[in-house]
Amino acid sequence: MTGTAISLTGVRKMFGDTPAVRDLTTDITAGSFTALLGPSGCGKSTTLAMIGGLLDPDSGDVRFDGRSQLGVPAERRPAGLVFQKPLLFPHLNVEQNVAFGLRMRRLDRANTRDRVTSILDRVQLGAMAKRRVGELSGGQEQRVALARALVLEPQVLLLDEPFSQLDATLRAEMRCLVKDLHTESQVTTVFVTHDQAEAVEVADTIALMLDGRLEGQGDPEMFYTAPPSLIAARFFGVTNELPGTVRTGVFTAASTGLRRPATLPDGPAVLVIRPETITLTSPSGDDDTMDGVAVAARFAGTHLAVDVQLTGGPLVTAHAPVTTSVRLGAPMTVGLPRAGGVVVAADLRHAG
Amino acid sequence: MTQPELRTRPPPTGPAATTRGRRRPANHRRRGVPRGLWIALLLAPALLVVGVFFLTGITQAVAQSLGYQPFLPGWRLSLDAYQGMFTDPAVRASLLLTARIAIIPTVLSAVLGVSAALLIRRLGRSRNWVSGIFQANLAVPHLVGALCMLLLLSQGGLLSRVSHAAGFTDTPAAFPALTGDEFGWAIIAAYVWKETEFLTVIALAALGRGVDDLENAARSLGARPWQRLVHVTLPVITPAVAGGAVLVFAFTAGSYEVPYLLGRPFPATLPVVALQYYNATDLTARPEAMAVAVVITLLSGLMVAAYLFIAGRLARRSL
Amino acid sequence: MTTTSRRVAAGAAPTQEATEPVARRPLSVRTGRRLLVGLLLVTVLLPLVALLIWSVAGQWRYPDLLPQQLSLRGVGLLFDPRSDILQGLGTSAGIATAVAVLACLIGFPAGRAIGLYRFRGRRAVQFLLLSPVIVPGLAVTLGIQVFFVRYHLSDSILGVVLVQLMPTVPYAAIILGAAFANLDIDYERQARALGAGPVRVLLFVTVPLLRPAIAVAALLTFLISWSEYVLTLLIGGGQVKTLPLLLFAAIGSSDTTAAAALAVLVIAPPLLLVVAATRLLSGRSGNGVGFGRL
Repeated sequence: MTGTAISLTGVRKMFGDTPAVRDLTTDITAGSFTALLGPSGCGKSTTLAMIGGLLDPDSGDVRFDGRSQLGVPAERRPAGLVFQKPLLFPHLNVEQNVAFGLRMRRLDRANTRDRVTSILDRVQLGAMAKRRVGELSGGQEQRVALARALVLEPQVLLLDEPFSQLDATLRAEMRCLVKDLHTESQVTTVFVTHDQAEAVEVADTIALMLDGRLEGQGDPEMFYTAPPSLIAARFFGVTNELPGTVRTGVFTAASTGLRRPATLPDGPAVLVIRPETITLTSPSGDDDTMDGVAVAARFAGTHLAVDVQLTGGPLVTAHAPVTTSVRLGAPMTVGLPRAGGVVVAADLRHAG
Repeated sequence: MTQPELRTRPPPTGPAATTRGRRRPANHRRRGVPRGLWIALLLAPALLVVGVFFLTGITQAVAQSLGYQPFLPGWRLSLDAYQGMFTDPAVRASLLLTARIAIIPTVLSAVLGVSAALLIRRLGRSRNWVSGIFQANLAVPHLVGALCMLLLLSQGGLLSRVSHAAGFTDTPAAFPALTGDEFGWAIIAAYVWKETEFLTVIALAALGRGVDDLENAARSLGARPWQRLVHVTLPVITPAVAGGAVLVFAFTAGSYEVPYLLGRPFPATLPVVALQYYNATDLTARPEAMAVAVVITLLSGLMVAAYLFIAGRLARRSL
Repeated sequence: MTTTSRRVAAGAAPTQEATEPVARRPLSVRTGRRLLVGLLLVTVLLPLVALLIWSVAGQWRYPDLLPQQLSLRGVGLLFDPRSDILQGLGTSAGIATAVAVLACLIGFPAGRAIGLYRFRGRRAVQFLLLSPVIVPGLAVTLGIQVFFVRYHLSDSILGVVLVQLMPTVPYAAIILGAAFANLDIDYERQARALGAGPVRVLLFVTVPLLRPAIAVAALLTFLISWSEYVLTLLIGGGQVKTLPLLLFAAIGSSDTTAAAALAVLVIAPPLLLVVAATRLLSGRSGNGVGFGRL
């Protein structure tokens, strides 16, 4: 079972007067595990529905391996869908639910039974084959839903926030399961989620959507170290923003005078620095050092979040080891890594 | 300056049962009244009304059907009324007629009701007012429905005139007798008209959002429109519609106004026969009237059992 | 260059964002569907239309499809002080209102018990409460008539109101039971925590929260009482003249116009009430509550 490459070209979708998806163009590599990430209302579920064939794009094209899927209804697309709610058929038991798609294809009994048994074993529900839907827990239901989609050996697997209704521990287990299933089958998987931590953990590619547009696409590290825009940076939890201007390839921060090379055209820009990269204790030679005053320190479990008011400049947050002793009001020196931080355009499009 | 530490109390123990997040009032004394007593008090008025009326009524009816007529000299208890009933030609003809005017409308209105609901739910903006018309029609009493059918289906009625205009019939008598007939056509028509609307409303309610979602899931699994209908939609709405159909059956079997107005004195349906005997001047017919009424009740009691049984079994399958 | 094709795409993925309800089906299917719905509506409304026409028909001899002459005689009869129709209207309205109020008052605590509590015998209670709905009241009414006579309740409005509680209380209890089952009890606890006593919680929290269900229960019980014939006949003894009794007699007479006019009067208040109620409750989608047999 190998996956299909998916390509979306200029896909648009309006609901009444509201644009849900604006001019989306992207390619999803065959066999990859892509997370479609974004806040609610950004159009990610709509996009998924259009890939799966439950919705028509108003304009644009959806292709599987280069073949246009426009005009192909959902029941004939080689895509499996798993939704937020497991949507198991209440009048059938577990086995019959999983066998449903095979029955629709009129596969013979023996083959159906074999495939159903093996997929149920794979999701560790072999013993529950004869149970009725009402007797299952939430996690079990979702596993059945997964099995039901996978038994059809789809070329594309589309998951729409399938674990959002489960509790945290169960979610983690299910993520592992899906990841394993993907590794075994290499089916092209698109996983919609609003949880950035989940996306980072599970996907090899993240496509960030905001307000109906693709904000950026790349591997998770890219979003951390080199976010494509200010909005994307904020979505991934950046809090340190140093505004300034770019002139002839050099960015100068407004109040602190920090300089960085920038590939942006001239104009206003923002330097975003992740808090983990700022050093409090012993800035190295690769850092720009700045003086400031520690104004707050918060214990955050794995680290200490320290707010430092830079002299004549903005407030920056740094993450320090938990054992660091911080005296509020005491002067501090912070090291801002020269190689860390990215300059992004100051353009703030309204984020959905 | 450190803030005083709040001594957190352990979270209060939750109430008795937690069903899917909803909680029931705790098993404690409410205002000094034990829970069991409180529930009994709440239920008392309703159970009184239903219990007292229902049970005393039935016992009286059964007693009278067994001959208990204390105001009539020379009464005695016996099964004569029941035996007489089964040899009574009026009753025997009535059984067939009653079965006919109960079964046929039930089946027809179930089929038509489900079809209408499937049709209506796919309408766009018009869906609301169309289903509104159906719901509003539920407010029309069966009595008025009987009159409407008289106006439409009698030999001097609207359909007869249309058939004349179309050249099929010459005179009122040439139009088939649908009212006051032996078969019960107008009765069936009246019931089908009203009960289809009832079952359409029920089917529409069952075809809510949940069914749409299930159909989408079926689509993603490769089910084509016809397959979705047969394997998903119909099985899912069957419990609700079946329950409604049982109600329709019980109602049509026990109704009086419509068969009286649209049928004949003989053969008449069981309820009509019962009232005929009840109103007879000869009081010795009273036990037989009661016997017929009791039989109707027994048959409907079986319906209740069937209804609960079906509803209970299919409740496990409900959304 | 890609073209958007109008193709079969029923419904949307069930998410918060994508909620496109209507499919874009080919024109032929849509027109066919519209025709069928039109046909359906005609069959549903035709009997009522016939009724309306007949109620204002003066001369309408066979075989004309429309009356030769319209007349308001039928309507006039309705308001004629010599006929008992206006009085019947009052009687019906009064009885139906009384029944609705009483049934809801009785059904409210019962609904609370059924909906809110889990207790042994709950199923049995539901069964018992449901039985008058399913089992025809004929045997029961014939049976209790003796008691009504004995306690001087027969041939009286009070007797009719009491006996009409039998088919109505179950509906009220069931509807309110369902509403209580969906009620979040925490609202009441919150109100208690804010200092409201049990009566005030009931009046200012519980009842307002249940207002839609109470309205539906009241409407339904009103309609059941309004249309009731056999019970009124047997217990009222023909003395309590409600509109259904008058209508029954009118149908038996040869005056079709009068009967039709009276029938229009009989259905007018229920229809108006249902329309008003649906307006009031709009926000709920067209889910019928199953008005049962009326």
